[in-house]
Amino acid sequence: MISKALAESVLACAMAGGADFVELYGEITRNNAVSMVDGKIDRVTDNLISGVGIRAFLGTRTVFASTSDTSREGLMKCARSVAAAMGELRAVERVILNERIFPNIHPVRTVPSGVDAKVRADLLRAGCFAAKDYDASISQVSGSLSGVDHTIWIANTEGLYTTDRHVRTRIAVSAVASAAGVNQSGSASPGAGMGLEFFEAVDPRDVGREAARQATVNLRADYCPAGTMTVAIENGFGGVIFHEACGHSLEASSVAIGASQMAGKLGQQIANAKVTAIDDGTIPGAWGSVNIDDEGTPTQRNVLIENGVLKSYMIDRLGSRRMGLPMTGSGRRQSYTYEPTSRMTNTFLANGPDKNEDIIASMEYGLYCRKMGGGSVNPLTGAFNFAVTEGYLVRNGKICEPVRGASLIGTGSEILQNIDMVGQNLERAQGMCGSSSGSIPTDVGQPLIRVSTITVGGR
Amino acid sequence: MIFEEMKQALVAAAERAGLTQYEIYSQLEESISAETLKDEISSFASSVSGGICFRCIVDGKMGYASGERMTADAMEELVSRAISNAQCIDNDDEVFIFAGSPAYATLPEREVRLTDAKTVRDTALALQTATYAESDKVGDGTQSAVISAVQEIHLYNSNGLSLSNRVGMSGAYAMPVVRDGEEAQESFEFALGASAEAFSELPKKSVQKALDKMGAGLVESGKYDVLFDGKQFRQFLSTFSPVFSAKNAQLGLSLLAGKEGEKIAADCVTVTDDPMQQDSPMQTSFDGEGVATARKSVIENGVLKTLLYDLTTAKKAGVESTGNGQKQSYAAPVSIAPYHFAIEAGERTEEELLAAIGNGLYITECKGFHAGANAVTGDFSIESAGFVIRDGKRAEPVKSFTVAGNFFELLKAVDLLGNEIKWGVPGSFTVFGSPDVVVRGMSVAGK
Repeated sequence: MISKALAESVLACAMAGGADFVELYGEITRNNAVSMVDGKIDRVTDNLISGVGIRAFLGTRTVFASTSDTSREGLMKCARSVAAAMGELRAVERVILNERIFPNIHPVRTVPSGVDAKVRADLLRAGCFAAKDYDASISQVSGSLSGVDHTIWIANTEGLYTTDRHVRTRIAVSAVASAAGVNQSGSASPGAGMGLEFFEAVDPRDVGREAARQATVNLRADYCPAGTMTVAIENGFGGVIFHEACGHSLEASSVAIGASQMAGKLGQQIANAKVTAIDDGTIPGAWGSVNIDDEGTPTQRNVLIENGVLKSYMIDRLGSRRMGLPMTGSGRRQSYTYEPTSRMTNTFLANGPDKNEDIIASMEYGLYCRKMGGGSVNPLTGAFNFAVTEGYLVRNGKICEPVRGASLIGTGSEILQNIDMVGQNLERAQGMCGSSSGSIPTDVGQPLIRVSTITVGGR
Repeated sequence: MIFEEMKQALVAAAERAGLTQYEIYSQLEESISAETLKDEISSFASSVSGGICFRCIVDGKMGYASGERMTADAMEELVSRAISNAQCIDNDDEVFIFAGSPAYATLPEREVRLTDAKTVRDTALALQTATYAESDKVGDGTQSAVISAVQEIHLYNSNGLSLSNRVGMSGAYAMPVVRDGEEAQESFEFALGASAEAFSELPKKSVQKALDKMGAGLVESGKYDVLFDGKQFRQFLSTFSPVFSAKNAQLGLSLLAGKEGEKIAADCVTVTDDPMQQDSPMQTSFDGEGVATARKSVIENGVLKTLLYDLTTAKKAGVESTGNGQKQSYAAPVSIAPYHFAIEAGERTEEELLAAIGNGLYITECKGFHAGANAVTGDFSIESAGFVIRDGKRAEPVKSFTVAGNFFELLKAVDLLGNEIKWGVPGSFTVFGSPDVVVRGMSVAGK
């Protein structure tokens, strides 16, 4: 898309406003999606995203411009606008780039966009039909199968010129169960940083059945009671609790400007000693993995919290300048139209010392959250919320009847201390995380954990 | 300019492929923004983006393809991809390339332009300075920003229908962080406009709002009479707006299916959908299929008057499209969405509403609707904060509680309405609004 020689000219042009660093990011992304509802394939779409973003630094001041015009003239115009916005124009030295190739640790066998849409449609059909066939109460099923083929070019005035390609695949099935004028829903949406070979490991029919199972459980559930309780949160998407309650507050975007409750706490005991939390962008084929981040830094395994002690933040290039700490391979963006910032990759709580059966047995009365939905957080105050999509009351150490419509709320600093039992069945699950640099794929994860006390929003 | 060129390339490619029913839709955007941190512009950004969507009917099925690369080759590829995508579809609902409405509303003449870079920066800095000056408790993390964006939409189809619209939005926000000892709080206030005068209220309002949250306590779980700030209540309309979509109703995904003509809300509730709301910068006279848009009551005095239809769902139901077949971006397929969608204001002032409650909660912050609410079931459980209402007056702040309920019951439980619609930030043609709302007996989970 962008030759080395052209990148050199564009960077030099953008430097002319007095910047001390300039970065060029180019992107070609093919998004493909097949969707289905009511037993029929109802939409097949594909979109080609193509553009560049140019960002200049002068200390911690940034100027950013992006354009979908990727002609030589379009790029130079974009570069000139960056230079003009930075300051008075002056002569600059030539920029010399060295091409670098980073190792690919996420090989892909079958790129989704290279396969006939009919093949993708058949995989989706299998998932949706399995949901419909699960139970007579299933009244509607919808689903989608999407593939993203994302190629990026990164060049900067430190001499880096490199490219990377990232492919991901995801299937999502939602099921609605109905009885006596009441609707209840369930969903499942696994994905991976893989091509269609993902479906050798994941059977679409299991995805459909899982969505339908949740919907039928919720159909026989009554409203969850309200108040503070002891709560056990299951593995997989349950890890959204760490993502919201703590993960966002460890991103340099809020820490570096003093807008995080976690600012200035490196080395301090911020969580129960059973809590170890990791952000790892290097897990092969994982949903949130990338070889290099969107600033050209290789991703790495960042231990954020070890035995309750805060060890590291997640730091992008601007955050690194603001904080005087090294980058952690955390600079990510949805597309060329967004400025990159510090983001999570695959973030999870590590296995702990407690046996899972002991966790449930320890609860006299409380809530067992088997499946969680999404959530949100205010990094400044740490106030967070997230939704329980499949929950059960626990009495005398036994899981009892299902309850629905609950959410959990609290503040990050409190919840980290209140995670008092950590089990041993770590599993990750996939989500899309939204923040200032757009929507990006991230994994959340954890083993079964117990939170000694938390506010349960029921009725 | 670029649209005309690409259109000609697409028309030629479509004809070579033997297509007779097709549509070209393009959306081009330009934006500029400045963000501040401490006492300087921390980030200045400008963007030019957009793309073209081509869709066509092949053997009764609609195929889509879209992209951002504006070259003749890319247009040729769009046509062949759209044809191949159409061949995969097995939904047999009737689809349409529209012939055109008899008439389209004329939008008011207004100048639509991007604010210049210098004004954007100067205004952002002035706003930041004024925000810091409001209180010595304002500190690190405080941000102000000014943004200006212009969008141009073109629609052309094989029936000769040719429509275009150019809209622009300029505004600013102030997001102060205030500290007192260990405690930090923040707030967010937005205003439309392009000049410093338009934003003169933002510093005072935003800082006061953040300071008012300091020292918040907890509330006991239980049932409360609640006054919702309209800025919060409109999030219920936004979250549950899919239940007004005829497509969801026809698929059994909306509990409003078959309820047109029935009482679904309290008498005082009238909900209007207006594509040309007069104060809004985001007005449109046609939808994403080229159908003329119009103002209508969706709920009138509690009665559901109509769902929102596009051409396909209207044909299925034997009614006319309501002009709600929107495209959320150039690449998005047509889907049903409202325009300026709001509960009509009532007559009471804030003081009168507080007095009418006597003792209860004033909810001024609600978060996490994307997770804590379910449009299929209507259930919600939402993180909230606000104030205690005691003896008809706003008293101390409270935080960390949830309100839970069901949207369909909430519509029926609305008791009183404030006298002013509070509109959301107009980021697209879909904007939600609500006056302050009194609801009795809400379930609250606190300590």
